[in-house]
Amino acid sequence: MVLRIFALAALLSLQFACSRNQEMKTLYAERCLACHGASGRGDGPIASSLPVPVPDFRLTVERKSVRAIRKVIVDGKGIMPAYGPALSRLEVQDMIRAVRVVSEEGRPVEWWEKIGPLLYAHCSLPWQFGDDEEEPQRGAGP
Amino acid sequence: MQQRGLGIVLATVILTALVPAREIRAASHQSESHPQAQESGRSQVHLPIADFSLTDQTGRPFRFQELRGKVVLVTFIYTTCSDVCPLLTSRMVLVQRDLKGTERSSVYLLGITTDPEIDRPQILKSYAGRYGVDFSNWSFLTGSPGELAPVWKSFRVQVQRKARGLVNHTPLTALLDKAGIMRFAYFGTSPDHRSMLRDLRSLLPSS
Repeated sequence: MVLRIFALAALLSLQFACSRNQEMKTLYAERCLACHGASGRGDGPIASSLPVPVPDFRLTVERKSVRAIRKVIVDGKGIMPAYGPALSRLEVQDMIRAVRVVSEEGRPVEWWEKIGPLLYAHCSLPWQFGDDEEEPQRGAGP
Repeated sequence: MQQRGLGIVLATVILTALVPAREIRAASHQSESHPQAQESGRSQVHLPIADFSLTDQTGRPFRFQELRGKVVLVTFIYTTCSDVCPLLTSRMVLVQRDLKGTERSSVYLLGITTDPEIDRPQILKSYAGRYGVDFSNWSFLTGSPGELAPVWKSFRVQVQRKARGLVNHTPLTALLDKAGIMRFAYFGTSPDHRSMLRDLRSLLPSS
């Protein structure tokens, strides 16, 4: 009985996290879209005017751990702003999920692949399945 | 019965988790709030700028009047800006890099924040560092809202806070002569750095 209640509470918590789709979309539109573009390909409206190429999420985010994505969002990278001082922890989590979602476009993603990053981003788990290696630095692009 | 309820919740969660990929792309395509990179409007003006004191990226006081005798290029930015400011700062970097050795001592660059809520000195220093700014003739300035408001007003820059770390502001880059008078104003997201350099040189003594 206790186990069932615990499981139900955990699922409801995850349901709450999943219900933040609107916040996630707004954050992406306000903070990421100008450079990274609607599809995350690095083709946003100002991308061509920037002094460095904007990475394609489909090539970079897929290879990054959630921890590495969080670090880029919070601390910035190259000319990409450091959003740490401006966003709440929950908003950072929403942004992680947003870039994960966008990065999945155009490649076959199994349903279970979506669950791991979602859990990790929203539940602040102290571990993550898969490789946690940092991607090698390549230029100063956002 | 409880197992069935648990199953329904689990199914709902999984379905919800799988939906946003399509939604976010649709919503992003609809968004038209971001400005396109635009060529700047350049205009010649004659606007004296009132003296002011702010704080630079090292936390030290910075007095605008101490720049008398130098040509000053000023832009207004904030560090968590994701559209206009990276373009403005990038153009300023190009101007700084193209200055000749002899010009560097006669020219000073300023980046003045439009978001004092976020942009403390250390944050401005990190921001500038990511652009590879040379601090020998470029300072980034912040202050309290009460200190900054008259400066924005003096430059005719409008600032409107939308949310934490999200500010609408006039995309102005201004060129001031040695007497602290604004002589050229560049409005827009992508001022042409060659044009700014040409105007800047016209205000230097050798010209």
